[in-house]
Amino acid sequence: MVDIAEIAVSAAELKLGTEPVQGDGVRLSHADPKARYSLRARDAKVLADVIGCALPGKIGDTDGGIACLGPDEWYALLPAGTDLPRGEGLPVSVVDVSSRALGLVLEGPGALAVLSSGCPLDLAKMSVGRATRTVFETVEIVVWREADDRWHIEVWRSFATWLWNAFLAAMPQAK
Amino acid sequence: MLLIHCPYCEEARPEVEFVYGGEAHIARPIDPSAFSDAEWEKLLYIRSNPRGRHHERWRHTHGCGRFFNAVRDTVTDVFETTYKAGEARK
Repeated sequence: MVDIAEIAVSAAELKLGTEPVQGDGVRLSHADPKARYSLRARDAKVLADVIGCALPGKIGDTDGGIACLGPDEWYALLPAGTDLPRGEGLPVSVVDVSSRALGLVLEGPGALAVLSSGCPLDLAKMSVGRATRTVFETVEIVVWREADDRWHIEVWRSFATWLWNAFLAAMPQAK
Repeated sequence: MLLIHCPYCEEARPEVEFVYGGEAHIARPIDPSAFSDAEWEKLLYIRSNPRGRHHERWRHTHGCGRFFNAVRDTVTDVFETTYKAGEARK
């Protein structure tokens, strides 16, 4: 028999945990506070000059905390308090979206299975250092493979409680 | 699950990341005020609805966010090809 985790939780039980949860082979926790920026520009070179650092050129690549999400879109995940120049008057958009999302971290040999329980991508084939926007069930997330066994998941705050509990439901419990 | 090749991401990605955007290559009028009622009707409501090869728009909403065009067979649901928005009809 396969043990199926109980997913049905009442609204009162749906709480966004604050402390890390250790399951069997997988640990769920909150990422350290980050500064988040949504970066848009048709010409990547202009944007790179404005913020003063290199931008990954290919969709899915990351470089120094900046992920390329689309042909004209980057997402920066920088140490808390980082303040990027806004590039006033130039054809770029540098927007602080720090409060929009939360970072959750899944780590351990079982992390891949937990994430794959609701994500349709073939995450096993995703190389370390790649990041992409995708979905978990119906919730939009940005998945960042920081190390072989460490996944950083960015999720909008309003979805975070649900996602936290969905991960908990998919995590094998520690014996 | 159906996999769709996104011409921007250059990867086959799961269908749930995409939304369908209707028939492709429908040009908007350059001078809308000169359009007659019959022409508006044709532009807004009349679609080719073929059996077989269909040119259609898709958007990689939960990915790169871009619209692109695809040729899909409406009978078999097979995607023949996908190409970037703005490229010539294939």
